[in-house]
Amino acid sequence: MGTPFDIAYVYEYFLKLLPFIRISLLIVFGSIVVGMGVGLLVALPRLYKVPVLQRFSQVYASFFRGTPILIQLFLIYYLLPELLKLVSIDVTKVPVLIFVILAYGLHSGAYFSEGIRAAVSAVDRGQVEAAYAVGMTGYQAFTRIVFPQALAISIPILANLIIATLKDTSLAFTLGVMELTGKAQTLFTVSRHMLESYLALAIVYFILSFFLEKMFNFAERRLLKHEAPIAKEDKVPMGRKWLNRTLDPDIALSKGGAGV
Amino acid sequence: MKWDFSFIWTAFLDLLPALPTTLYITAVSVSCGFVIGLIVTLSRMYKVPVLSQIGTAYVTFVRGTPMLTHLLIVYIGLSMLLDHLSDKFGWSFNSVSIPMIGFAYIAFSITAGAYLAEVIRSGLLAVNKGQLEAAYSVGMTTFQALRRIVFPQAFAAALPNLSNSLIGMLHGSTLAFTVSVVDINAKAQIVASTNWKFPEAYLAAALLFWGLTVLIERGTALLEKRINVYNRGGVA
Amino acid sequence: MIHLKRITKSFGRNEVLKGIDLTIRKGEVVAIVGPSGSGKTTLLRCINYLEKPSDGEISIDEFSVHFKKPHKKDIHALRQKSAMVFQQYNLFRHKTALENVMEGLVVVQKIPKEEARKRSVELLEKVGLGDKLDSYPSQLSGGQQQRVGIARALALNPEVILFDEPTSALDPELVGEVLGVIRKIAKEGITMIIVTHEMAFAQDVANHVVFMEGGVIVEEGPPNVIFNVPKEERTKQFLARYTSESAYSI
Repeated sequence: MGTPFDIAYVYEYFLKLLPFIRISLLIVFGSIVVGMGVGLLVALPRLYKVPVLQRFSQVYASFFRGTPILIQLFLIYYLLPELLKLVSIDVTKVPVLIFVILAYGLHSGAYFSEGIRAAVSAVDRGQVEAAYAVGMTGYQAFTRIVFPQALAISIPILANLIIATLKDTSLAFTLGVMELTGKAQTLFTVSRHMLESYLALAIVYFILSFFLEKMFNFAERRLLKHEAPIAKEDKVPMGRKWLNRTLDPDIALSKGGAGV
Repeated sequence: MKWDFSFIWTAFLDLLPALPTTLYITAVSVSCGFVIGLIVTLSRMYKVPVLSQIGTAYVTFVRGTPMLTHLLIVYIGLSMLLDHLSDKFGWSFNSVSIPMIGFAYIAFSITAGAYLAEVIRSGLLAVNKGQLEAAYSVGMTTFQALRRIVFPQAFAAALPNLSNSLIGMLHGSTLAFTVSVVDINAKAQIVASTNWKFPEAYLAAALLFWGLTVLIERGTALLEKRINVYNRGGVA
Repeated sequence: MIHLKRITKSFGRNEVLKGIDLTIRKGEVVAIVGPSGSGKTTLLRCINYLEKPSDGEISIDEFSVHFKKPHKKDIHALRQKSAMVFQQYNLFRHKTALENVMEGLVVVQKIPKEEARKRSVELLEKVGLGDKLDSYPSQLSGGQQQRVGIARALALNPEVILFDEPTSALDPELVGEVLGVIRKIAKEGITMIIVTHEMAFAQDVANHVVFMEGGVIVEEGPPNVIFNVPKEERTKQFLARYTSESAYSI
C-alpha cells in the first residue's frame, strides 16, 4: 500500500493537477448549460399544468433524481448510441466527453426543473395580482415581476447544484475522461504515493467549491439587495457565515421527498 | 448489437443478490452518520470548545469535496496507518484484516455525518425559540425540553432533508466499487461485461435504484403525513 | 358610471356572490361593509378580474365586459381602467418605492421614463413619502408600504381605485396615516370603492355605503342613513355587534 507519507508530494501533485481543473470545469459548465435548458423544458409543463407533458416531466424528474449519477453515466454512454442507431445516427466517433456532459446535463436538468418550480412558486401570489392590477399582461407580469424575484431566490439553489455537479464530475474518470480525478489516478503510478495524490485532489476540489460558494454568495447579496438584511439573532451564531449559507439550499431544493 | 428486452429482466434478477450489500452500506452510513451529525451539531450549538471548531472544519471540508475522495483517502490512509502501527507493535491485526466493505462503512459514515450535521441543525433551527421558552415556563429541564418538545418538532421539520440524505447515500453507495465491494452497481458491471449486454444491465440497475428511491420517497411522505398532524392548521 | 349587473361567483359548490347589482357614480366614494365571509372582498376582486366571476356583467362608461365568456383583451382593458390597493400591500419586492409607482406607467401605459418619474415623485410626495423614493419595500413600515401602494394606484389614473381592507394588516398606530391619505384623495373626486372594517372611517369618508351579508347586498344608502337609521334588521344587528365589539377591543 504505497510508500511512507511525504507531504512534499501533496504539493507537487497539487501543482500537477491544476491544469486539469479546466476539464472538470468544462464538464460542469457544459452540463449546467444543458441542464438549464432541459430543466426549463421539463419545468414549464408542470408550471402551466399541460396535460400529458406534465406527466412526462414528472417521470423524467423522478427517474433522473431517483437513480445514481454513476449508473446514469454508464446508461447514457451505452444506451444512447444504441437508441440513436435505431434512427441511423452513428455516434461512435463522438468524443466521450460529449456523452459525459450530456449525462451530467440530463441529471442536473431534473434538479433544475425542481429548482425552477420551487423558485417560481416561492414568489408571493400577491406579486402577480399586483402586476395584473396595474394592468400588466401575463407575459409582462412574468418577465418583469415574477422572473427577477425567482432568479434571486434560485441563486442558492443554482449554487448548490453547480457545486454538487463539480463534485459529481469526479466520476467522469469511469468513462476514461482525463479530468481531475482521472489525472490524480495516473500521478502515483510511478511514485506510488497514492494518499498524497488523493489528498491533493481533495484540496483542489475543496478550493474550487470554496470559491464557487463565495462567488454565489456575492451574487446573491447583489440580487437580494431589495430584501432587508436578515436580523442577526435569526442567524445561528455558529460556524462561519458562508457555511451557514450552504445550509439553506438544502431546504429550498429538496432532493427527494414529496413535491417541492 | 441487438436489443434484448428479456435480458433486462434476467439482469434484474442477477442484480438482486447484490441488493443487501447496497442496503447495508446505506443503512450503516446513514445511522453512523446520524450519530456523528448529532454530536457535531450539539457541540456547535452549545459552543463546546475545540470540538465545535473541529466539527465546523470537518463539515466544511467534507461538504466541499467529492464523496469519492473521502473513500479513497480513508481506504489508503487508514490502511497505511494500520499497517504502520501493526509493524511497529507487532500486531497480527493489519489492513488486510478489515474487509473491504468496512472501509466503505467508515468512509461513507464520515461523508454522511457532515451532511446530516447540517440537516439536523436546520431541523433544530426550524423549531421556534418560543417552544423552548414555553417548555421552561412549565418547569421542564433543558433535557426534558429538548427531548419532549424540541426534538420531535425538529424531526418533523428535518424529515424531507433526512429522506434526501438517505437517498443521497443510497446513490452514493455505488462508489463502493472503487474498493472492490460488489454492490448493485459493481454487479451490473459484472453482468454487463460477462454477457456483453451493457445497456440492458445498466437499465436494470437503474430501475432497481429508481424503485428503491421511490420507495423511500413514498415512505417519507407517509411518515410525514402521520407526524405532521399537529401542523394541519384549521385555517379555512 | 360603473354598473355591476348580476355578478355571481361560486367556489366549487359554495356560492359566494349571489347576483350583485350595484351602480357607482363618477367621483363617488363607496364603502362596502359587512361581516367576514360576506363576499365583499370577492366582489372587489371580481371588478379587477383577480377573481373570475361565474357570471354577470360590468360596464365602466361605454366599455363593458360579460363575465360568461370574457375576451382576453377586454379583461386587460378592464384591469387598465381600475387600480387596486391590497390588504397585504403587494408592493413589488425587488423594486424601490419610486420604481413601484413607475412600473405600471412605463410598462403598461408606455409613458416615457422621465415623465413617469416626475409624476411618480409628485405622487409619493403627496402621500408623504418624498424622502423614501429609493427605499425597498422591506425597508418601509407597513403604513409606508401601503401609502406607496396608494400612490401606485393613483399613478395609473384609473377610472376607479379599489381598496381591499387597506388597513387591516397594519399595526393600530399606523392605521391613521393611511386613512389620512385615503381621505385626502377622496376629496379630489376620484371614484373609489373601499372594503373596510373601519366603520367610523366609512361613515366619515364615503358618500355611499353598501352593507353586504351572505353574498347579497342587504342594504345601501348614504352613510348617515345606513349607520344611524338602517332599515334592515340584519344591518342593525351587524352594526350593533360591531360597535359593541370595537368598544371592548383593546
